[in-house]
Amino acid sequence: MKDSDNLSIDKIQEALRKEKYIADRALATVVYLSIAMGKPLLLEGEAGVGKTEVAKVLAEIMGSKLIRLQCYEGLDANTALYEWNYPKQMLRIKLEEVTAGDRTAVETEIFSPEYLVKRPLLEAIQSEGSIAPVLLIDEIDRADMEFEAFLLEVLSDFQITIPELGTIRARVRPYVVLTSNRTREIHDALKRRCLYHWIDYPSFEKEHEIVSAKFPAMRGHLADQICAFMQQVRQMNFYKRPGVAETLDWASALLALNRDELDEETIRETVGCVFKYREDLNHVAEQLAAKKIDLDGTAKSAQSL
Amino acid sequence: MDITDELIAKTVERFAPRGGGGTVTNILAFSRVLKGLGVTIGLSQVLDSNRSLHYVDVGSRYEFRAALRANLISDKEQMPIFDRAFDLFWRARSDVDPNAPSDVPLPPDDADIEDGSETESTEQIMAEFAGAETGRDGETEPLTLPTYSPGESLSKKDFSDLGIEESRAISRAILLIATKIATQMSRRKKRSSKGQQVDARWTMRKSLKYGGEVVELVKRKRRIKKTRVVLLCDVSGSMDCYSRFLIQFMYGLQNELWGVETFVFSTSLSRITHLIRTKEIAGALERISHSVVGWSGGTNIGRSLATFNRDFAPTLVTHRTVVVIISDGWDRGDVSLLEHEMQSIKRRCYKILWLNPLLASENYEPLCKGMQAALPYLDLFLSVNNLNSLVALGRNLQRMVA
Repeated sequence: MKDSDNLSIDKIQEALRKEKYIADRALATVVYLSIAMGKPLLLEGEAGVGKTEVAKVLAEIMGSKLIRLQCYEGLDANTALYEWNYPKQMLRIKLEEVTAGDRTAVETEIFSPEYLVKRPLLEAIQSEGSIAPVLLIDEIDRADMEFEAFLLEVLSDFQITIPELGTIRARVRPYVVLTSNRTREIHDALKRRCLYHWIDYPSFEKEHEIVSAKFPAMRGHLADQICAFMQQVRQMNFYKRPGVAETLDWASALLALNRDELDEETIRETVGCVFKYREDLNHVAEQLAAKKIDLDGTAKSAQSL
Repeated sequence: MDITDELIAKTVERFAPRGGGGTVTNILAFSRVLKGLGVTIGLSQVLDSNRSLHYVDVGSRYEFRAALRANLISDKEQMPIFDRAFDLFWRARSDVDPNAPSDVPLPPDDADIEDGSETESTEQIMAEFAGAETGRDGETEPLTLPTYSPGESLSKKDFSDLGIEESRAISRAILLIATKIATQMSRRKKRSSKGQQVDARWTMRKSLKYGGEVVELVKRKRRIKKTRVVLLCDVSGSMDCYSRFLIQFMYGLQNELWGVETFVFSTSLSRITHLIRTKEIAGALERISHSVVGWSGGTNIGRSLATFNRDFAPTLVTHRTVVVIISDGWDRGDVSLLEHEMQSIKRRCYKILWLNPLLASENYEPLCKGMQAALPYLDLFLSVNNLNSLVALGRNLQRMVA
């Protein structure tokens, strides 16, 4: 699917499904709008609901390159945009001293693209070819406010000025996906430039579909049980509620162990895939002991209420 | 939820254009409805939602709604407001316009300008949004100079016995103090020159004077992470007059610093950070006090803290966070729960401050059980009952955050 003019919401949903990403129609709509309008897409949601996955799958279905910028505290323009390769430049100067060459020639040379270290944002803007890359700016909430302001500038013009080289303009606008875990609020100005979508924990049916899509070999009954279990524990009071990522981890672990039924014993052995904190492990053990979690998959109907 | 159905109905009624109108008019009107309900929307968002309608099937209510929502809403909390307003507004629209089928929105029509002379023109409404957009960014806004300086009498006066005029004056003073403290905090973090990491850029630059030979290594320090301040404010009956001022104080900090989160609690807890992120604090407070369940009611500190620990603390509280609790400690809930929750906050955060307006009274002793249970976990126990005490609080926060 390389021609964005022929896209439609249905096609996007279909293509996502083909890549084993089960999306509801609302998500397919915003993904489509983001492509059609050229507006960045801001995805928020709890950890492990598949925000980052959207960008990966999007790159897959557009047949384009995925460029990822992982944000962290203290991320600055140098790490996000470009940096001169200082050691290489210094080496070049040293070499020149030995051979006593032309000074100005060296100067222009060491500030040429060859000595430039491209970071994700520059890479996205400078990408070759006719297909726009997908630029994933992951966990923007981890970066600081200043970086957000800087990003705002890049996202509005898609051009970058390097004093020594001049202005570089994007030939094709990258598709931009931002994700946030909401450890802090994103500034309004940035939000305004994006299409917003909140990805919730999936319903039983959706989660079941996801599990079946990823693990076609899994027996329906086990998938029922896994999803029913996840639906129930998400309603409970855990320090870190498990996301879809945990469901899939768990499912693959159970497959690897050749289990085809969830019983208390199996859960106790493998629940480390789902809960990663000691308090949570204790809590789930208590809940199991007290028979508060229904393992028969009959919880399906109760959950859909 | 925060906003009642009547309020939505009233707001829809207020902004709904008479006689149908085209899509642009309707989207503008709908955006005003949302704005009236406290959602922040800029002109670009309104225009983009109009643009987005070219790409979806406007005959499908679902797609139409999804397109508007993705453009106009940028906060999960605002989704329910959007949904309710959407249902009311677009039904109201199709009632007015007999040409439109009952649950299908109007088709896009760009060349649409409102003719009616007694109603506002589309341009006027657009200007309203454009104004909001530049105003809220606030970068170019000049800092207003103090028009009021807290006099001796006011700065010592207890918040509980203020007149209306006085309380307005105090509000202004509070904002000024908060702004000042906040700017000092953020400036302090920039000054750091020694450190572990080598700054290649500056080393190179410096080496020029030795002919490219690296003699000095320039180092840099990682910037100090800005501390998050989390405010948990008791708004039960006994605290009412104090809480209002404290929330204003936090609002002042929040607008200048990032990482201030505000919650109110009485019998349950609600997050109001997004509600007070507006230019007009008095109105926002009014709205909040109407919408928060149990405002001026009883207190259950333990349960509120438990909610906080479960839903918010994991993402909001880190080892650099200062948690500020404002309460008189009168607790009608389970004291052992309170103690347990205090302990778990303590484990997670950097400092806990407890502000108690009653502390100022001469013969106050923390006798009530709730307060006693909390005392061992506190890093600082302060009084906040007048302007001077707020200044003291500001200084303490500044020291902790810097």
